[in-house]
Amino acid sequence: MPDQSTLTPVRPPLVTVDKLTVDMPLGRSGASVRIVDGVDFIVGVGERVALVGESGSGKSLTARALMRLDRLAKLSGRVDFDGTDLLKLSDRDMGKLRGSSIAMVFQDPMSFLDPLMTIGDQVAETLRIRGIGKVEARKRALSVLDELGVDRAAERLDSYPHEFSGGMRQRVVLAMALVGEPRLLIADEPTTALDVRVQDQVLDLLDDVSTRRGLAVLFITHDLGVVAGFAERVMVMYSGRIVEDGEVGSVFARPSHPYTQGLIKAVPRIDQDLATLYAIPGAPPPPLARPSGCPFHPRCDQRFDRCDRELPALLPIGRTRVACHLHDGKGD
Amino acid sequence: MLMSVDNISKSYHAFPNPPAKVLHDVSIDIAAGEAIGLVGESGSGKSTIAKCMLALIKPEVGAISYDGIDVVHAKGEDLRRFRREVQMVFQDPYGSLNPRMTVQELIGEGLLIHKLEATAAARRARVAEMMEMVGLNPNDMDRYTRSFSGGQRQRIAIARALVIRPRILVCDEPVAALDVSVQAQVINLLQDMQKKLNLAIVFVAHDLAVVRHLCERIVVLHKGRVVEQGTREEIFGNPRQEYTQSLLAAVPVPDPVVGRARRAARHLEPAN
Amino acid sequence: MTAPAIVQPATARRKEGFTPFEAFVFALVVALLAIAIVGPFFAPDSVYNSDIANSLMPPSAANWFGTDDQGRDVFWRLIVGAQTTLLSAFLVVTLYSLIGVTIATVAAAGPRWLDEGLMRITDIGLALPGMIVALGFAAAMGASLRSAVIAMAITGWPITARMLRGIMRQTMEQPFVAGAQVLGVSKWRLMTKHVLPNSLDVLIVKWAGDIGTTVLVLASLSFIGVGAQPPSAEWGATIAAARGYVSTAWWTVVAPGAAVAITSIAFGLLGDIIQVRRDPSLRGN
Repeated sequence: MPDQSTLTPVRPPLVTVDKLTVDMPLGRSGASVRIVDGVDFIVGVGERVALVGESGSGKSLTARALMRLDRLAKLSGRVDFDGTDLLKLSDRDMGKLRGSSIAMVFQDPMSFLDPLMTIGDQVAETLRIRGIGKVEARKRALSVLDELGVDRAAERLDSYPHEFSGGMRQRVVLAMALVGEPRLLIADEPTTALDVRVQDQVLDLLDDVSTRRGLAVLFITHDLGVVAGFAERVMVMYSGRIVEDGEVGSVFARPSHPYTQGLIKAVPRIDQDLATLYAIPGAPPPPLARPSGCPFHPRCDQRFDRCDRELPALLPIGRTRVACHLHDGKGD
Repeated sequence: MLMSVDNISKSYHAFPNPPAKVLHDVSIDIAAGEAIGLVGESGSGKSTIAKCMLALIKPEVGAISYDGIDVVHAKGEDLRRFRREVQMVFQDPYGSLNPRMTVQELIGEGLLIHKLEATAAARRARVAEMMEMVGLNPNDMDRYTRSFSGGQRQRIAIARALVIRPRILVCDEPVAALDVSVQAQVINLLQDMQKKLNLAIVFVAHDLAVVRHLCERIVVLHKGRVVEQGTREEIFGNPRQEYTQSLLAAVPVPDPVVGRARRAARHLEPAN
Repeated sequence: MTAPAIVQPATARRKEGFTPFEAFVFALVVALLAIAIVGPFFAPDSVYNSDIANSLMPPSAANWFGTDDQGRDVFWRLIVGAQTTLLSAFLVVTLYSLIGVTIATVAAAGPRWLDEGLMRITDIGLALPGMIVALGFAAAMGASLRSAVIAMAITGWPITARMLRGIMRQTMEQPFVAGAQVLGVSKWRLMTKHVLPNSLDVLIVKWAGDIGTTVLVLASLSFIGVGAQPPSAEWGATIAAARGYVSTAWWTVVAPGAAVAITSIAFGLLGDIIQVRRDPSLRGN
């Protein structure tokens, strides 16, 4: 169970992830590669947490592991949701939990929608599966679509996905996720494929829904701008581990991990001129070729002798957790 | 003006659908050595304009001229000079390099076909020089691109375009597919090359923050029309069109204080 | 932001070993090729000479697969015939692949009217059955292995042409092709250096499978008397010559029949294996 290495959240915990690892098989050879390497964190009831990372960081697989979406993935550790360990549930029980307690939305809404089914039927389906009557399911589908700002929702229940714009489709997918009244919504880059103005609307919408319903959101993204505007807490992942976890305001104002510092300095801004961008040298390592010690050390401008030998643990400083030898109290 | 796009229009025909007009009377001028940004959402026609500028497709109406060459009808020596002096970098670092060519063949191809270096040895030397210039290790020139990361591939694509010393580089979303930490490397490289080689850069992007950082002049497009164009200061400091204003207001800012304030301000306004 | 992650499993896949079944098929194909190439050098003279006294002897230690009606060793005739059979099949497939690649390339590179014209000709070609054309050739040029090979080469290309043209059109949509155009490469270089090398993968799969089918068709042509003629050791001709002895000396027919079956199945499987290994989505079936 979480010890002093996991921060006590302000809110009661909803999900407690403890030493989660995800191994993905490599072809048929029986070998596997560890994509997520011992991750622990807590998402509080109604809390909005962003999980930020680049390709190969394991952010998506971490989120998918909570839903047990990847059949081939080998999971270990504990994912405690409201007192039950999700990794120990039977497939049947896990299936019941999906959609009702935990729901997920993805980057590409179109691949998630059945082109031959009406919007109303698709939104209602989650409820129909759970044995709710046709009329009642349709009524609730309508009210969720209304809540999510789909105008003339009543008329559009019988439309098909191709009649909707990208932003509207993402609303429909959100409605499908929310109609079962989950307590946690996992959103995997839900706005990445959208134009900025539509992205903004969807983010506002998520913001409202999460506040109104007390819905916890785990938001997977690579976009620091989206994190800053939406989340209360941010966890930064690098090469399969969390390297920094803290309240959004303090992480952006005073990032502790050199990687977080670099990321924030690397993004051009719409609201100010920057002479040159800080460029972190190199590229994120592929999971098969992780460097020794701290995985970030080859790209780090503050590395010292211990960094290529010892893996830094994720330790609390104040209300933030950081995995960096600069902050582990042992000095250099 | 180095290149003038003059009132071009373009429709796409996809039978049995009626022809869809994607560009309406677009005019853009590009001066030597300047960085100009074409911004817009999907469906704004920005990539279509880039393709017209590169003579990959032809507008139905209007003219494009480059340094005395009629781009739409260019043939023979004119076309060859145009092809040497106007180059491009694509968004997709995976699909934009022929997987069956080595780095040296890729970067040296322009030198070979435009007969800029007579011998293979001279080409290799120029390729090595160019690789160093864009931050690649010349020892990698005989490798295939399979094992290179997205950022390195984009450097190869930039080297391939710049080795023949073009005067205009058209970049279609060159950093959109890259990791955040790698985007900055490529943006800095483009900025650096622009200054060193007195290159005009046409930067096609949806990311307004990147465009603001890189471009002195900005053209805002919406549904195939130019909505507004002006200097960086004009567009970002004092946007005149409502569309530009709404676009700028929607760009997320990586600063929680600013981000929250903007969100709160929007919540006070009546929702549309 | 997930593109680089896709590269990783692909490289990992390439390193993976063969399954026992795949290894068996590869070994079989290699063995067949080795027999066809070097086998005939070791064949005893008796392969070509009649020895009526020893005709139609059943399999024994001296004649592993017995002897035929002329007293020739069936085993060694199969090995000599392997060369003729496989060589002809290779020749047929190579010839029509060349024709197909040329037509596909011209169609993909050329203007719309040329593309349309070539594809209509291809459609006509697809409608012509190879067997009937071969019969026509035999009538005009005399029945021989050469007529059969020519007939099959000029009827075999349309499938290759049609398939490859489609693939080349897809390859031409790739950004790197637009990149080469912007660079100013000639049409010839564009097609030969950029488009064709990135379109031929599928053809290699088809090529292996086609060898198998061609072995079978060539044998059939010889069997009905249009292809190779006696005393050729070509397998189809051998079966044709021995068909009167099925009831009295089964080995004279079963041995070359089995050779045809094994060879066409082995190359067919080789094609399937290459295809499955190229396309991970087909794996596990």
